[in-house]
Amino acid sequence: MKRELKICLPGYKIVYSLCYVVILSFIQGVAFVDEIGGALDANLALLAVVFCAETYVMERNGKRNEIIGLYPMGRKVRMVFRRMAVQLLYLCLLSYGGFFFFFWQRPVNLGVNSFWFLFGTYGLAVTATILFWGMLSMTLSNLFKNQWAGIGLSAALWLVVVYSLGKSALGNYGIFAYGYRSLTEPGEVSWLLGKGIGVLLAAVMAAGVPCILKKRG
Amino acid sequence: MNITIKDLTVTFKNGITAVNHVDLEIPQGIFGLLGENGAGKTTLMRVLTTAVKPTGGCVAMDQTLYEESNYGAIRKKIGYLPQELNLYPNLTVRECLEYLGELSGVPKKACRERIDFYLEKTSLLEHQKKKMRQLSGGMKRRVGLIQALLNEPEFLIIDEPTTGLDPEERIRIRNLLVDFSENRTVLFSTHVVEDLAATCSRLAVMRKGSFLYTGTVRELLDMAKGHIWVCTVGDEAEARALEQKYHISSKQFVEGGMRLKIISEGKPEIPCSQPELTLEDAYVYVMSR
Repeated sequence: MKRELKICLPGYKIVYSLCYVVILSFIQGVAFVDEIGGALDANLALLAVVFCAETYVMERNGKRNEIIGLYPMGRKVRMVFRRMAVQLLYLCLLSYGGFFFFFWQRPVNLGVNSFWFLFGTYGLAVTATILFWGMLSMTLSNLFKNQWAGIGLSAALWLVVVYSLGKSALGNYGIFAYGYRSLTEPGEVSWLLGKGIGVLLAAVMAAGVPCILKKRG
Repeated sequence: MNITIKDLTVTFKNGITAVNHVDLEIPQGIFGLLGENGAGKTTLMRVLTTAVKPTGGCVAMDQTLYEESNYGAIRKKIGYLPQELNLYPNLTVRECLEYLGELSGVPKKACRERIDFYLEKTSLLEHQKKKMRQLSGGMKRRVGLIQALLNEPEFLIIDEPTTGLDPEERIRIRNLLVDFSENRTVLFSTHVVEDLAATCSRLAVMRKGSFLYTGTVRELLDMAKGHIWVCTVGDEAEARALEQKYHISSKQFVEGGMRLKIISEGKPEIPCSQPELTLEDAYVYVMSR
């Protein structure tokens, strides 16, 4: 795992991801603690898209794909999963920490839900978000053998889901339903459905990794 | 191990035929593949690594045919050093080799032992804790060579390993190849003739996807015998006049004029002699035919 850490988490990635969350905490105004999760959730999806796109295609960029191509498929798949695990874990930890970056704005708690409920549900929501968008970006990059294709297509889908389709068409089935939840309803977790679908789709994409590696090298 | 290539053709989607109906037998030992840039050497090598599927013909490794169902078994026996290889810049030399060794399925203990052995052989032991990005071009090629050897391949494919290296590093890489070729089949591609002259006894010369020559170095030299001539002319104008008439393979200013190497089927109509032939002369002769 130490080697995966060095490969997948070079200094520049840590710096830009940290900067991203810090900048978000400056430009996204929040008055209530209840709003922090919504402010972070969709934006962290974009970070996951950029972060995970190169997971495997970095081998192509480094011209290593032809030697990797000689290795047994099982080992290659394990390599991809280990890299994804490292990146997703880092992004999740950053996201959990990022929740507290907003406290310089001195948000108040609406009092509808406890702080720990808000933080816990945010943790669940953002974990599903990172899982789905990270897997999506990695899968599309592998399919098109190009990380920019993965980032571009994922970002295009992100735009569609976060703006037009997000609330009206998908409702609670949407991956960003958490951001549209009612802040005044105590214990509101109907958005879990959308996140559950996201996790399920991420699992399907994970199951497709061996097939994609076989077909697309 | 013997590699047999029969009527192999590779045509890309854009219609370009990189390898055109070639036959070749690669026996054990170092086999050189010589040709200008774009001759099809890398494509042929990529076919042999199973990275590219041929559009026609067949390839066999001993009795095993290059077919999808056999790729797993074939790949296990191959070690490959591509022309360009950028290994993980943030890993140290040892970490990088351990990582690639693990990925290739070499058991951990054996992998460590092999890394120690090859690091020592390639004089990289003292650099094993350096990050890959801190290494010189030659050192990176040596690390690349070690990664190709980690699974103890029976068939080693090395694509232009000396490109861009200084003479000292080139000699070092060549010597390492000779050391590591024992009991192996090594296919060594290059466009640097002296690299092959120093390492192999059999070679193939490739141009535009076809072989102009396959056989031993000695036979290639014999083939060129009587077709290479050396003469000295008084000035550049005389040399230019000869250039109009003959294929000049080299020019050199010497005391009292200019020394020319002429490729000609018969003796040129000027005073000239036959030089001691080099592989480069023979290569230029074959390419000029």
